[in-house]
Amino acid sequence: MLEQLQIKNLTKRFGTVIANDRVTFDVRRGEIHCLFGENGAGKSTLAECIYGTYRSESGTICFNGELVEFNSPRDAIQLGIGMIHQHFVLVPPLTVLENIIVGTEDAKVLLNTQKAENKFKELCARYELKLNGHAAIWDLSVGEQQWVEILKALYLDVKFLILDEPTAVLTPEESDKLFRILNVMKRQGISIVLITHKLKEVMQSDRVTVMRKGKIINTVDTKSTTREQLTHMMISSELAVQGLKKKINSESTVVQIKKLDVRGPRGGYAVKDLNLTLNSHEIVGIAGVAGNGQKELFETLVGIQSPESGEVWLDTEDITHWSPAEILAAGVGHIPQDRYREGLIGQLSIVDNLLLGMHRSPRFAQRGFLDQERVRAFVQEQVDQFEIVAPSIDTVVGNLSGGNAQKVVLARELFQASVVLLANQPTRGLDISIADYVHRQLLEKRKEGYAILLASEELDELIKLSDRIVVMFKGQIAGEFVADNPDLEQIGLLMAGGNL
Amino acid sequence: MNWAKIRLERRDEVTWAWRLFCFLVAILGTLLVTGVLISTAGKEPIEAFKELFIGAFFGIDSIVETLVRATPLILTGLAAVVAFRAKIWSIGQEGQLVLGAIAAYWASIVFEGLPRIIVLSGVICLGFVGGALLGVFCGWLKARYRVDEIISTVMFNYAIFYLLTYLLSGPWQPPGDFYVQSAPVIEKALLPNLLQDTRLHGGLFIAIVVAIIVYILIKRTALGYEIRAFGSNPIASSFKGIKPTRMLVVVMLISGGIAGLAGTSELLGVHGRLNTDIAAGAGYTGIIVALIGGLTPLGTVIAAVLFGAMVNGGFMMQVVTGVPKSMVFAMQAITLLFFLCSTLMSQYRIKRVTEDV
Repeated sequence: MLEQLQIKNLTKRFGTVIANDRVTFDVRRGEIHCLFGENGAGKSTLAECIYGTYRSESGTICFNGELVEFNSPRDAIQLGIGMIHQHFVLVPPLTVLENIIVGTEDAKVLLNTQKAENKFKELCARYELKLNGHAAIWDLSVGEQQWVEILKALYLDVKFLILDEPTAVLTPEESDKLFRILNVMKRQGISIVLITHKLKEVMQSDRVTVMRKGKIINTVDTKSTTREQLTHMMISSELAVQGLKKKINSESTVVQIKKLDVRGPRGGYAVKDLNLTLNSHEIVGIAGVAGNGQKELFETLVGIQSPESGEVWLDTEDITHWSPAEILAAGVGHIPQDRYREGLIGQLSIVDNLLLGMHRSPRFAQRGFLDQERVRAFVQEQVDQFEIVAPSIDTVVGNLSGGNAQKVVLARELFQASVVLLANQPTRGLDISIADYVHRQLLEKRKEGYAILLASEELDELIKLSDRIVVMFKGQIAGEFVADNPDLEQIGLLMAGGNL
Repeated sequence: MNWAKIRLERRDEVTWAWRLFCFLVAILGTLLVTGVLISTAGKEPIEAFKELFIGAFFGIDSIVETLVRATPLILTGLAAVVAFRAKIWSIGQEGQLVLGAIAAYWASIVFEGLPRIIVLSGVICLGFVGGALLGVFCGWLKARYRVDEIISTVMFNYAIFYLLTYLLSGPWQPPGDFYVQSAPVIEKALLPNLLQDTRLHGGLFIAIVVAIIVYILIKRTALGYEIRAFGSNPIASSFKGIKPTRMLVVVMLISGGIAGLAGTSELLGVHGRLNTDIAAGAGYTGIIVALIGGLTPLGTVIAAVLFGAMVNGGFMMQVVTGVPKSMVFAMQAITLLFFLCSTLMSQYRIKRVTEDV
């Protein structure tokens, strides 16, 4: 029996969204099997179904030739299945050893530290890891924390290990080391499922399964495929929606970004030496997997972050170090990536949310007092125009549906913006009709002469809307394309960190 | 098989009737639990509550005394309302109250030779400034150095109290005096009486005016809007130009200043001289009052009067029934617990779910 795991026709829905659509997938004993695809392709959902976090609606899972049904990860762990999540599941103040034995038999009533320490040392030796078992997690580097996660799984004697984008936080050297560890595990007979969207990692595996929009596209032997073929499978080929936008000759430069460097939350550069120009009557699309500096770029442009070096010009003014209020007043609107965290005030009403940012403008406030009548009339007008469905304009925004909440952000930002619109994943999580509404609004603003910067993880969306597409990878612009007839495979290759 | 389960579910809209019902349940619960406490002390609860009520509300003098006791609580409660609406957890009302009183006393010395109207407005202004300075300092510490406001404000409560005892046992102690207190405040700096031959003083007027101002501030002004927005989602607010540092400083200025007015009112309306009883926990009780009042100005005024009544009626209860008046503090704490529960309860509904298994 070659297959350790066999999945047949597995379907998993979230509400009306189908995350996994009749997925059939198998993993052989002792192989490294990559799950490759764009964000939102359903890779993590599939993994969580295998691990028992989610229960599928239909379909079967066979492990070691037997039909299994997991009610929780506990069941999966008992059969020797382990998973390393995208975000660390460690207790920072505890030591490495304590983190490794927490939840195991050795930490039930009395800590069996001697046994744990011996096994820990043996594992470190076998996998050539240098770790101090008595160091607290918060004293470790990010890479070392990843080794602890792996040791946690190995300590439980896993036979089958799933890793969900384990290299996202690692340096290139650490990634190489990770693959050395994985190869040792493979020789011990452990099967490995590696979720990734980086081509470099895919090429080091034995087999690859490509997913797109919840479906399995194909499973191939890595040796018999090429990067180009894989990219082609990853991005959808049928891009029918075109012709919505008519070519408009953009005449003037509105925004100029010169040699921008921005530090990220972990201290490294999130944006590095970035140059970009936005013209009027133009939508510039940023393609790229989220987390490649898009958030930091947008936050710098609206004045929330201040760049380490470089300049941002709006027309003839240097706005590099302007405050958010000043940039807003200059006519720059912003649709943030996370609407509930950065765009809306969930506990306040539609009225209060539409007012945000204009509460000091002479139109709505005189001598510090708000003109309630004017505010309410304005809000009613916007709610009607954008067809926001709500019991009343005093409804708390947190009670609205996702689409209507996004319409509140859209209404506000389109009203406040007069020159530039920055939209970071404006349709994420929205259903097709609302997403289409957002698209039409953006194109309308383009016609009116706005310069629009649009970041999205969906290539279809970018191609449908943009005049130019730039690819962002690790804080830099990896390439620029004219959106009329772009080379999708090249874009996909650049998004995954490849070279042309 | 049918399983009946009970589940809590969040209400979309909270109706007034339901809120009132929850409020009444809280009062009933408070009375029940304190009733049990009183009977375990071997006294008759109904009798005790009756005397408490009589002591608090029967006759002009009782009502006046209740209001006098409520006055500082209204102000410290409003100070907490302003800060907590912005989700700035200032516990510093006690210290700000004392520093406000110190500043007002200092002003009464400095302005001694001036006409009464100037002296009065001068001491009130300085009382505000005294509390505001301390508030701003804590706000600035958070904005500049990320010092947690809970820690800094609590610590300053102690520091300011020691400053007070230093002043009262040193520079401001009248020569040859034995007590830890200052000389009396000059006559023209004292707040005028509102009702002849009673202790009702101008502080109540100040408190009501401040309550109205806070109401307008929160409901009608751009600044009040910013306070609400910042308090609910500081990140989204900062994206739209509301500066966190500015909010910390401005909110703490207003909140501290109002607490400073509480000290001013106690100094110039009740005590007439600085002593170590000037705050008497009003800063901390104000926090409870604000929470019971649902962080609204009107609710805070009502809760403050309720608490004033409990303290005032407690004396009568002790004299007539022998229930110790410290029972009142237990009552206040129990009231808070029940009101917090009722606030939560008013937002949920209990639903029976039947599941087919």
